[in-house]
Amino acid sequence: MSKDTVFSGRVWVLAEGGHLIEDIDTDQIYHNAHLHITDIGEMGQYALGNLKGWEDFFSMAEPGDILAAGRNFGAGSSRQQAVDCFRALGVAAILAPSFGAIYFRNAVNSGFPLLRCLELSDWIQDGTLENGDRIEIDLRTGKGKNITKGSVFETEGMSRVQVAVYETGGLFAYGKAIESDGVK
Amino acid sequence: MGLTFSEKILGGKAGKTVRAGDVVTVSPDYLLSHDNSAAIIKEFNKLGLEKVQNPEKIVIILDHIVPAAAEKYAQNHKEIREFVAAQGIRHFFDIHHGICHQVFSENGFARPGRLILGADSHTTSYGALGAFAAGIGRSELASIWATDEIWLRVPETLRIVMTGRFQTGVSAKDVILKIIGDNGADRANYMAVEFSGEAAPSFSISSRLVLANMAAEMGAKNGYFPADAVTLDWLRTRSNEVSEPVLSDEDAVFETELEYDLKSIEPQVACPHTVDNVRPVRELEGMPFHQALIGTCTNGRLEDLEAAAAIMKGKTVPSHVRVLIIPASASVYREALRRGLLEIFSEAGCVILNPGCGPCLGAHQGIMAPEETTLSTANRNFRGRMGSRDSQIYLASPETVAASAVRGALTDPRGIQ
Repeated sequence: MSKDTVFSGRVWVLAEGGHLIEDIDTDQIYHNAHLHITDIGEMGQYALGNLKGWEDFFSMAEPGDILAAGRNFGAGSSRQQAVDCFRALGVAAILAPSFGAIYFRNAVNSGFPLLRCLELSDWIQDGTLENGDRIEIDLRTGKGKNITKGSVFETEGMSRVQVAVYETGGLFAYGKAIESDGVK
Repeated sequence: MGLTFSEKILGGKAGKTVRAGDVVTVSPDYLLSHDNSAAIIKEFNKLGLEKVQNPEKIVIILDHIVPAAAEKYAQNHKEIREFVAAQGIRHFFDIHHGICHQVFSENGFARPGRLILGADSHTTSYGALGAFAAGIGRSELASIWATDEIWLRVPETLRIVMTGRFQTGVSAKDVILKIIGDNGADRANYMAVEFSGEAAPSFSISSRLVLANMAAEMGAKNGYFPADAVTLDWLRTRSNEVSEPVLSDEDAVFETELEYDLKSIEPQVACPHTVDNVRPVRELEGMPFHQALIGTCTNGRLEDLEAAAAIMKGKTVPSHVRVLIIPASASVYREALRRGLLEIFSEAGCVILNPGCGPCLGAHQGIMAPEETTLSTANRNFRGRMGSRDSQIYLASPETVAASAVRGALTDPRGIQ
């Protein structure tokens, strides 16, 4: 059962003073005090719990929301809770100019869309994209629409592996799908 | 066109010629996990499989919160021990052995040419011994337990060419902090970092581990030193197995080469709250702090403790500072004991903790209150990592931390030695 690769949602812009916050590390996304938690259902309440000004994110987030962050989002630890806490809240995707390497892998393998867009900082500064805007994104092509503003934009889109893992719903499901196709 | 170290190792595993940017499916040699094995076990159990593919490849080392500081940690440890017994995992190291990266290396699992993946971001450390070693997530690790396979993207390579010799009082930590400060915490995202040049062979394995460990703080997938006689000598004392070094070809293609002259490097400190916020120690000379930490997977080895003890010998820590010493492994602990280093630390007024991660990840053994500052030899100074989000962490070499600890304020160690 494939998931839809085009979706729309409300954007949360993680910015301070009109600029995207850079280097939001895994300790700010999901603090190490909660690392003993292994049940994904309990992780949502700690999402961004250690990022100044965003401690209450979990209570404001709604399923389908999209995050926009500064470069090197998810730098640091390999903790997968930093991806899973957003999945727990039903966050649909995260946009940033770049992501921490392991964070990126964790997201790909969880079937959680991360989209790189180098111009994101410019869009925030020139008002192309604002907090609360509703946007639509096609994960395959990377093309986006700002429904609120009536403008269009482009992200890098997802690689083939990323889309395939996303559509099957995660690494395990993907592995099973490959095996049953006999392509292994 | 020649091949890089990473292209050779991943190509060898994939059974074909590969280039940077290719995605390969490979079977790793060893898989590391620590206290987070509890979460990995949960993922593995979801697959409905009875047995892991190959228990001989699995290495589990408890180090993050040892001994268990609360019931929730004790429960995780218990589940791990039960899984290890049920699966027949022989390479299990319970709470008394030390930090996973040190214990893994000491036991000879890391060798030239090996492919090692670990559910810890500082798995990059094993590049110090010429292995391709990268951190991955826990679902991925569970998936490899089940299938013995994983996809990896072959990384481009950033080469750091080092020349010259360190000044007295300056060491491996200072050069890696300088490199990260100059280039940024995401400069090597998804890339391999090769530490080479005519100065590379002069680095001890202990010092190589510092650089490879902190390659993770540049965003690197893996960081490594070309294996040489120093590597092979070090390994010879640990196992009879023979390894062939894997080296980048002369005409391999590197994304960038950066040059560093070690004699121009001065003591460095990474200021809150990012590892690339680096300044020379002399610019902050005299800065006060509350706690000092000498240890962790970055700088808790014998070489580090010896450097610190040489500075602290016969001195006393002032009453407004508390100093924590954490040998990286039981083997380091015993050798430090034999050589009288622990006595020097104890007489100076330090707290000597058991081998493990200690307070580095903010769970126990030295957590900070708001407005407190720790000067640490660790690798991360993220906001709130060691306790309150209103506390601060500065990162420096063992020499700088030791000199600062006995003075009670940030100190350039070059004047002390």
